[in-house]
Amino acid sequence: MKKKKTKITPLDLIVSALILAAAVYLGYRIKVGLHYKWNWQAIPQYLYRYDQESGKWVANLIMQGLFTTLRLSIWGTVLATILGTIMGLCRISQSLFYRLLGRSYVELIRNMPPLVLIFIFYYFVSGQIMPVLGLNEFILAQSETTQRLCELLFAPPSFLSAFFSALVTLAIFEGAYIAEIVRAGIQSIDKGQWEAAHALGLSKWQQMRYIILPQAVQRILPPLAGQFISLIKDSSIVSVISIQELTFQGMELMATTYLTFEIWITITLLYLVMTFTCSLAVQRLEVRMARGRA
Amino acid sequence: MQGKELGDYIIEVERIRKTFPDGVQALYDFSTRIRRSEVVVVIGPSGAGKSTFLRCLNGLEDFDSGTITIDGIPLDDNKENRFEIRKEVGMVFQLFNLFPHMTVLENVNLAQMLVRKKNHDEATKVTMSLLEKVGIPDKAQSYPSQLSGGQQQRVAIARALAMVPKVMLFDEATSALDPEMIGEVLDVMKTLAQEGMTMVVVTHEMGFAREVGDRVIFMDEGRTVEEGSVEQIFSNPQKERTRQFIGQIL
Ligand SMILES: Nc1ncnc2c1ncn2[C@@H]1O[C@H](COP(=O)(O)OP(=O)(O)OP(=O)(O)O)[C@@H](O)[C@H]1O
Ligand SMILES: [Mg+2]
Repeated sequence: MKKKKTKITPLDLIVSALILAAAVYLGYRIKVGLHYKWNWQAIPQYLYRYDQESGKWVANLIMQGLFTTLRLSIWGTVLATILGTIMGLCRISQSLFYRLLGRSYVELIRNMPPLVLIFIFYYFVSGQIMPVLGLNEFILAQSETTQRLCELLFAPPSFLSAFFSALVTLAIFEGAYIAEIVRAGIQSIDKGQWEAAHALGLSKWQQMRYIILPQAVQRILPPLAGQFISLIKDSSIVSVISIQELTFQGMELMATTYLTFEIWITITLLYLVMTFTCSLAVQRLEVRMARGRA
Repeated sequence: MQGKELGDYIIEVERIRKTFPDGVQALYDFSTRIRRSEVVVVIGPSGAGKSTFLRCLNGLEDFDSGTITIDGIPLDDNKENRFEIRKEVGMVFQLFNLFPHMTVLENVNLAQMLVRKKNHDEATKVTMSLLEKVGIPDKAQSYPSQLSGGQQQRVAIARALAMVPKVMLFDEATSALDPEMIGEVLDVMKTLAQEGMTMVVVTHEMGFAREVGDRVIFMDEGRTVEEGSVEQIFSNPQKERTRQFIGQIL
């Protein structure tokens, strides 16, 4: 492939100048109009703080929030992928019942404001389902190590129930989009592939397992990774149910410190780092897959 | 073909009807009987129901009424029967339908291992001898996208043969090929015919029909308009509709 020469055109210069001017003006308004006093020195202590007792650096509010966001995103993706795959398969099932089930799920979730969904599901899940499961009692009865592990992987025991409720809500929400990705991926495989496999005597399950899914996965993975990035961003929505993830911590800090711009810029940057890293990973994945075979 | 021994009836089709959900009647009381080792060439205009007929024979399409019996097994609602028939009837498609994510070897091995329960080595042995037979033993490790159309179709034939089918169906197996590749695929099909494979072939290749066809069925609007020996249909058709069609394609 030929390398494209980067050439700067006059238009590029004009656009860059305009963007720069806008940024300068914004900074000027903040300083003059709002009389804003920047205080960036205050931020690092909210990332990490020195713990006198143990003599170690420990994560403070913002980083704790970041880790919670990461946990929510990763587990949310796992759960949503499982749910989405099942529902996606339902949507293309031969059985009218399963098709209806999948369809209702996807339409219901996608046509509801996520915030409303969060409230409904959260109060239902945390109020009705979690007590029945007895998760809190269960984890508090476990050994120290188990509790530590649980804290590392999910949340501190006292927050566990809230965390799982948020997780389930997020997964149900994102699962609808993943279901559509899975359905589209499977339906994008040529009908002839099913027919050839059928004619060879493969069972329905074998056709799916050996012929359709391996090809569909190649097409599903890139949009699925994109959905993962969405989930990182969407996870901020559970701040409304007091899950102490990144956005929630930002709001808390802002309420006590009034460092509005510093905090939100820091938080924005942290989200950017997470999503941008994922974007890069997705790009590499896509390149590798494209190279795999045509 | 002269001198070939035809056996008993292996395929019996009794008055099958097929109407698609959109109301199109693709087969209308279609009947035929095909003997073991017979090569039947099916011709007819577009939309005549040729593909639908072939697809009914291996259960790719359900028919509304009538009966199909293959080697004594009725193609009915019984799952075992349907599975048995799918195993015994091989099919070659117009667009090859090779599995693009598998090598040639894997394509041909797959059903032997999954359906015939052979282990990898046994399957590979069969595959290699079949690739030899269709003339591309050196392509075993290639992916379908790296092969020409003619080579892909020959792999598809090898893949179907790997199941050791009793009947082979060919649906316009050479229509999607560049002219210079048609010959190599037809040659493989001719070899099969000479070896005594029972074949139902939808094709426009009149040369092939003349050379190995035992019988020609001319279909239109879901029924048999006329059937007979190759000579009779091509040189001395009885029905006006047949004469018209033969005039167009010859
Ligand atoms: N899946 C389907 N749904 C609805 N109608 C169909 C379907 N498949 C075929 N048909 C219709 O049934 C009729 C017979 O189709 P068929 O494919 O069997 O014809 P054919 O003889 O193979 O034609 P061609 O030479 O074009 O391949 C046509 O009118 C076609 O439009
Ligand atoms: Mg056809």
